[in-house]
Amino acid sequence: MSQAPVVRLQDVSKRIGSRTIIDRLTLEVNPGEVFGFLGPNGSGKTTTIRMMVGLITMSGGDISIAGHSVKSAFPQAISRVGAIVENPEMYKFLTGYQNLVHFARMNRNITKQRIDEVIELVGLQGRIHDKVKKYSLGMRQRLGVAQAILHRPSLLILDEPTNGLDPAGIRELRDYLRRLSREEGTAVFVSSHLLSEMELMCDRVAIIQKGQLIDIRSLRGEQTEASQTMEEVLFEVDHPDTAIGVLEGRGAPNVTEGGFTITADRETIADLNRRLVLAGVRVYAIRAKIKSLEDQFLEVTGGETVG
Amino acid sequence: MANFWNLVRNENMKIYRRIATWIMMGFIVLVPILLTVLFAIFSEGKQPNNWEMMTLETQILFQLITIFTVVKAAESVAGEFTMGTIKLLLIRPWSRSSILLSKFISVVLFALFFSLVSFAVTWLINVIVFGYSAHPAGLIPPNSPLSDASPWAYVLMAYLDQFIALVVIVTFGFMLSSAFRSSGLAIGLSIFLLLSGNLVSGLLAMADKPWVKFVLFPHLGLTSYLDGGSPVPNYPTTYGFSLAVLAVYFLIFNLVSWTVFTKRDVAG
Repeated sequence: MSQAPVVRLQDVSKRIGSRTIIDRLTLEVNPGEVFGFLGPNGSGKTTTIRMMVGLITMSGGDISIAGHSVKSAFPQAISRVGAIVENPEMYKFLTGYQNLVHFARMNRNITKQRIDEVIELVGLQGRIHDKVKKYSLGMRQRLGVAQAILHRPSLLILDEPTNGLDPAGIRELRDYLRRLSREEGTAVFVSSHLLSEMELMCDRVAIIQKGQLIDIRSLRGEQTEASQTMEEVLFEVDHPDTAIGVLEGRGAPNVTEGGFTITADRETIADLNRRLVLAGVRVYAIRAKIKSLEDQFLEVTGGETVG
Repeated sequence: MANFWNLVRNENMKIYRRIATWIMMGFIVLVPILLTVLFAIFSEGKQPNNWEMMTLETQILFQLITIFTVVKAAESVAGEFTMGTIKLLLIRPWSRSSILLSKFISVVLFALFFSLVSFAVTWLINVIVFGYSAHPAGLIPPNSPLSDASPWAYVLMAYLDQFIALVVIVTFGFMLSSAFRSSGLAIGLSIFLLLSGNLVSGLLAMADKPWVKFVLFPHLGLTSYLDGGSPVPNYPTTYGFSLAVLAVYFLIFNLVSWTVFTKRDVAG
């Protein structure tokens, strides 16, 4: 498996009139990676995705997919991509199977066997010859995934894929995407505003707000080496004020209801606990406050919901 | 790249897998049968010959086929936007030009198919009811350029003329459909173009300016040449001139459709 990135966005911008919707966005997605694209509503996620698949033009910069520019070599670039942009809208008056045949005909070398294989993969065997208008939202979502992976793309782009799915459907999709990235080396680019969902699904996330890239962070392999790192810990105690006195100015504790929080490393935490107990403070619990992605997200975006 | 014909097959599938298409076909088959049978029952005295009746019915049918084809053209382009399927259609290894061309071809094929059915049905039912006349009197006007020709030549020429006008009107609808992405507007304005031709021609005749020769409306009535006339009353034109005017409009309409369809962003 080559480690050259599957997608490279280089200084991608989109301006409409005098408004800048996307501002010099630069990022890369590697093969076999599940990459989350996180941002509040209106931050430019869908606009970016539409530029990646050529539905809208870029005002500046370029996007290359598997080495082909979306601008200058669109058919070559897009032939490596499978996507669902927003809702999986299919031809409702056709059957699921006819929809797949329709999209299969637009690519090279998709055999009937491949269509059947994909139908089985998404679990639509029983209903594939029904008209799409009779499908539930979850079934349409499956059909959407089926059309996106028919041609074994190197990059799968899903815009808000969990919208309208029930918890079981979300879980299934998550497992499926993980398998696809692990077994076939497919890079998956998922946009969402559902933070907890992204946490479970992605290897890395990019956070954007108001069209600007704010941060890219890895969500895997960071919980090691805990002994040396400082973390924020919550002590639940009976008399927080007394406890603060006992600490004698160590760290910078914040008194909260029923306890206090303090930033310290592993050894100091044990030390603090011993002091508290010796001073007669009753310690009910010591909990590390691991920041969830949601906290991090709210922190970097300043808690705004509409950018 | 996969075969371009696959795109046309896809568009055909989207046309013929809809029940509405076959209801339209039902009209094309039933209307002439009904007209001929009613005419045969209720006309007293002189019965028309099969060719006369066929020409009359063809005029009505072409209005229907034009409307039906415009509806299909509007569905084919604007419909994809309304359904949201355009987002899946355009993210394939095909240029937007190819997609648009495949749609145009499938719509013209639809018109051709319906015209052939209409020819077959009107010919058959009138021969069955009125019998076949090899030298029909009263079909071809005496000053027609085809006055010495066979009824076949005359009727086929009338079909060709009406088909050409149909293609121009459909191209107009196709343009509106890709420009406004609204099938209602495209269908409405195209039907206006279809029905207001005579009215506008009349108004233009009153304007009495040389430029009226270049206005689209009168030239849609190509069949007036067949009867020895010319579409713009005060400014006699030739058949070739009318074809050239139609060709220019055809090219302009297609150029606009193509520019809008290939350049514009697909957002929201």
